[in-house]
Amino acid sequence: MTEGTKGYAKPADLPDDVRDHLGSLLIVLADNKRLLGMRYSDWLLGAPALEAGIACSAMAQDEWGHGRILYAMLRDFGYEANQLEHEREASEYRNMELLDGPAGEWPDLLALNLLLDTALSVQFEAMAESRFEPVHYKVSKLLDEERFHFEHGRGWVTRLGSTDAGREALRRSFRPVWEACLRWFGPDGDEAGRALHQAGITDKDAAGLRARWLERVGPVVEAGQLELAEMDGGGSGVWLSRVEPSWDGWDPDVRRGARGGPDADMLARVRGDKNRPLLMD
Amino acid sequence: MKEMNFAAVLAESLGEGRVLPSPPEWTKPPADLAEKCRRALYEVSDPEFLISLVDLGLIYGISADERSGEVAVRLTFTATACPCTDFIKWDIRERLLQLPEVSDVKVEEVWDPPWTTSRISDRGREILQDAGIAIIG
Repeated sequence: MTEGTKGYAKPADLPDDVRDHLGSLLIVLADNKRLLGMRYSDWLLGAPALEAGIACSAMAQDEWGHGRILYAMLRDFGYEANQLEHEREASEYRNMELLDGPAGEWPDLLALNLLLDTALSVQFEAMAESRFEPVHYKVSKLLDEERFHFEHGRGWVTRLGSTDAGREALRRSFRPVWEACLRWFGPDGDEAGRALHQAGITDKDAAGLRARWLERVGPVVEAGQLELAEMDGGGSGVWLSRVEPSWDGWDPDVRRGARGGPDADMLARVRGDKNRPLLMD
Repeated sequence: MKEMNFAAVLAESLGEGRVLPSPPEWTKPPADLAEKCRRALYEVSDPEFLISLVDLGLIYGISADERSGEVAVRLTFTATACPCTDFIKWDIRERLLQLPEVSDVKVEEVWDPPWTTSRISDRGREILQDAGIAIIG
């Protein structure tokens, strides 16, 4: 938050449209964090190296912690945190489609790790100086914890990308995730992105966030020769996608292409159905 | 498991089995209720380490209304996914409510500034080092 600018201490202080957009964004982020954590947890055992399994365990915990904080914040937006976390149907979730089902192979998980996790971090980073104080005061801790997630993804891409077979596997896994992440920020001129930016809740609109994400992941996928990004040949230093996202069926409210949500197994796990007797306050 | 009220069992077990190093030896009485509360929290441990919440640097502030006895504690955690958040909050409430001047305790979770090991007190570092835990930073 820039010194001298007026902050918003609680959701009720926000203009109505901004409050709605921000509440919606926080659900999107919370759901993606929660589901991504579950996907990391699928690899606690069976990752290619013991260290990778341990890293997945740590990353899963981080994502669940972030989800917990976000769901709790939504109480002040008029939502019931317990209902959001434990009682929704699959179609009410606002996670990226990519997280509906399991990451089948290790390169699929790496694509989520490097591309999707970084997209979420870019969205948080945009709120580091947010005028909405409850978010502003939490983001630096979240980003602190996210730093090693990116390094983990980068390390693995660099390593696998150095071999022909590894590179081919990465190309197959990264392409769909790349397209989904490009789209996740919303189209240029997206109404919610513009409203949040203009109100000082974020420091970039949808196009700006996408550019920041490309700047972050572009050099890594280019070094891995994944043929997804390139630097602008005009010398601007801007990273460009070599793939254009499709906006067919895009639903800006849930920030995904089609309503659906986690598959039955994942839904039961993410809601904690099996452990309902253990649920506490 | 279905017949057991897990939350009630946990609540009943609060404070059991914790053996903490003695709190510092105070040479003066506490200046006010907030300070008295702070001193009391030297007797509440982190569930994973034998070190008080104060020495671990998790207590970011305490305010107390001397007349009503209402106390507000600003608390952070070492990580957002700390698995012991509820235990810690319960233990704080339980200990402070033992003070006759305290009528109510509210615990506010805060994340700014982010906790780092630099917030561990010198006393806390000594206790951890004696237990074989090296502190980096």
